[in-house]
Order: sequence, then C-alpha cells, then structure tokens
Amino acid sequence: MKSLATRVLAVVVMAVVSVLLLMGATAKPGTQEPNKLIILSTTDVKGKTSPCG
Amino acid sequence: MDSVRAQYSQVLVVDAGGFFPEQNDAIYQNPAWFMLQAMKLLGTDASGMSDKELRFGKGFLVANARSSGLQLVCANLWDKQTKKTLVAPSIIKKVGTVKVGIFGLTSDKVDMGPARDSVTVEEPTAAARRTIASLRKQGATVIVLLSQLGKVESEDLVTAVDGIDVVVVGRNVPLLQKGRMIKNTVACYGGEQGQYIGRTIVTLDAARKMATGENDTYILGPEVGEKPEILTLVKSFEDAFNEKLRQEEKKKAAAQSANPEAGEAEASVDHYMGAEVCGRCHQAEMAQYKTTSHARAWETLVEAKKDANPECITCHVVGYKQAGGFKTGDDATRLADVQCENCHGMGTQHEAFPTAARRITEATCVTCHNPSNSPTFSFAVYQPHILHKVPANMPPLPVNPNKKMMGTGGH
Repeated sequence: MKSLATRVLAVVVMAVVSVLLLMGATAKPGTQEPNKLIILSTTDVKGKTSPCG
Repeated sequence: MDSVRAQYSQVLVVDAGGFFPEQNDAIYQNPAWFMLQAMKLLGTDASGMSDKELRFGKGFLVANARSSGLQLVCANLWDKQTKKTLVAPSIIKKVGTVKVGIFGLTSDKVDMGPARDSVTVEEPTAAARRTIASLRKQGATVIVLLSQLGKVESEDLVTAVDGIDVVVVGRNVPLLQKGRMIKNTVACYGGEQGQYIGRTIVTLDAARKMATGENDTYILGPEVGEKPEILTLVKSFEDAFNEKLRQEEKKKAAAQSANPEAGEAEASVDHYMGAEVCGRCHQAEMAQYKTTSHARAWETLVEAKKDANPECITCHVVGYKQAGGFKTGDDATRLADVQCENCHGMGTQHEAFPTAARRITEATCVTCHNPSNSPTFSFAVYQPHILHKVPANMPPLPVNPNKKMMGTGGH
C-alpha cells in the first residue's frame, strides 16, 4: 500500500506535468495569424558563413 | 527565424540558390558541403540552384545534396543521361493550412562549367508554365518561384507567365529593401552573401490563396540573436577550414620556392616594400598611422581565424600575391595590415609620387570598403580617420552591422 506522502507526491507530479503540457500547447506554433503565410528568403549566399574580421 | 516562427504559425524558409562558394579550387568543396548541411540545419524548406552549385560537377552536387537532406528544386535543368530533371522540379509543402508549391528556374544563358556535357537547360518560360500547371493540379494554392535568372529575366518571366504569387529573385541582383508587385507577383530582391533575409507576408483569402502580399528585406545585424548550436557549428567549421587553407598555401609556397627564376623576375620590376621602409623618413605619418584601424587589420583576421583565407587576406595585407607583396603567413611580420603602400602605391614608384600626384580618392578605398565588407562605409565619414593630420574632436566611426551572416564574425 502506498504511503500518503507517495500519493501526494504523485498528485503534485501529475499537476506539474499537466501544467507543463498545457504551457507547451499554448506556445505551440500553429495558432497565430492563421491568415498569413510568411516566407523567409535568402539568395546568393556564395558560401559565406561570416565576415572576415 | 525563431522569432518569426514564434510570432507566426505558417512560416516557409527558402533560398533562391547560388549558395556554393565562388572558387573552383577543390578545397572549396569543404564550404560547399558545409553550406548544404547548414542550410538544412537552419530549416530551409527548399532551395533553388544554378551553375554555381554545379561548379564541382554533377556528381558532387547530387551526392552531397542527397546526404544533407536539403531539398533542391529546379524545373528546367535536365540530366542528359536519365532524361529527368537533375533535382526535383518542384515540391508541394504543406505549411499549416496552406499548400505551397515551390519551384526553381536557372538561366539558360550561362555556361554550366564542369557539368556542361551532362546537363541541358530548358528555356525557362516553357518550364515555368508546365510546372505551375502541375502544381495547381496537385492543389497548391500559393506558388513560389526560386529564380536564378537575374533581375531582368525574372521580372520578364513573371510578367509573361501567370500564376506565380512570389518570386525570390537571385543571381547578382541589387538589394532592394522593399519588394515590388509585378502584375500579381510579389518580387523579393534579397541581397547576397548571407547578410540579409527577405520577409514576404502573404495574406490569404478563404480559399488559402494569396489575397495580398508585401516584402521587406532586413540586414542581419548585431541586434539579431545568435542560435548557439549554429554558431558553434559555423565556428568549428571555419576554424578547421582556415587550417586546411593554411596547409594548402604552404604546399603552394614550397612548390614555388623550388622555382627561383620567379623571384629574380619579381626583383626586377616595381614592387611593394613594406611600411618599415616608408617610416624611416615619414616618422610623423608613421606614428599617426599606427593609431588607425588599418594598423590592426591583420590582428582582426587572426582573432577571427581567417588569416589563411585568401578572400579575407587580400584586404588585410600589403599587395597580396603581387610583386614584393604578401604571399604567405610567413610575410606577416613585414607586410601584414593595411599599410602605406595600400593607399599610396608601390614604394619603388616613390620618386614618381609628386608628379603623378597620386591622390587618395573614394575609388582607392572602395576596393575593400565595398557594400559587402563595409556596409556603413562613407568616404566623407571614414576618410578623416586615416588622414595623417586628424581633425580635432573626430566622432567615432559607425558600428558596422556586418557582423552576423550565418554565424559569427565582425568586420
């Protein structure tokens, strides 16, 4: 039989996980500006990864 | 990219092509391979391509693109052997609720280099019409063209061919901060060398088609945050590549030293001598020069670990690869930094200076202070900082925003 402390700990852990999942769902992409498509573009990078110095 | 993704749910990342280095030497296959890997890691959904990506041959591109996982598109580049397009002509990418059709085109007016015998380039307009029809049939509601046709040909094409919503215009295209509408197409003129990013906002109607569109191009300045994993990857690649270039240079120098006749010929013509010789008489000018950024030009390359990169060395030393000039790192003690002769000319021509009246003009500076290296350069603002009689209360130079590109640095 589980002790009270164990059961309390399990409830707390479940609550924390639930909150984290909820936060994750809130921050998940796919909910903002659904009528916009954003296109980020580059061109002619020419192998350059950083300036000289 | 991350901040845009946080703000908007439907984001597409594309490149119009021309991302391989401009050098043909085999050692530059290293940055070519790295670009494929890094663009994939950055989340590029599709990239166009051109003769530039074929500079190491068809086999190199196809094999490395496949292993990197980067999606290349080009609708008018055909493999003579297989009778198919060399890479996918187009793709459909589902971005949120939108089906985006993406295709690429390359110019049929340029030489395909080492791949010229194994590929053919179809006239772009016919390829565009066929590909757009196919993409629409597959349900694409927004169509994006990744163009390596250059400015004029890209504009002519979207004028002649209906159905392209957005064109990313590449191949030696001038930077325009605001895109423009050409008929019903938003044209994005991106700016090159990884210093800029275009952002096109497409407003969708109920059918998920483009209702309106607008484009702006932004410089990737210091205020744009670094992505740590990309920064680490770029830096470790660059440091290793710098060492490879150094070893390559040593091999070439050893081969040249086995040919003493070249040195004798050089000694007989005008040549660079180094600032130490100038300073013997021009002591006051030398003292002032040592306070300038020019006198620390080599140090910045060493710190950035770019001191074996020929593209960088040329603007940080005296007379790179010219008579009497800097040839290898062994010449650094005498010919490193931007010295007297960079502006005034070869020391052996000294007697002709008064009559030739060699004036230091903007043309002297812009050989290195070009828009890519030095986007904040203004002759009126910069030139007083190198005058041997510096005006009093000189304001500091503006901060150069050219500090990002794909990873780190600071010019």
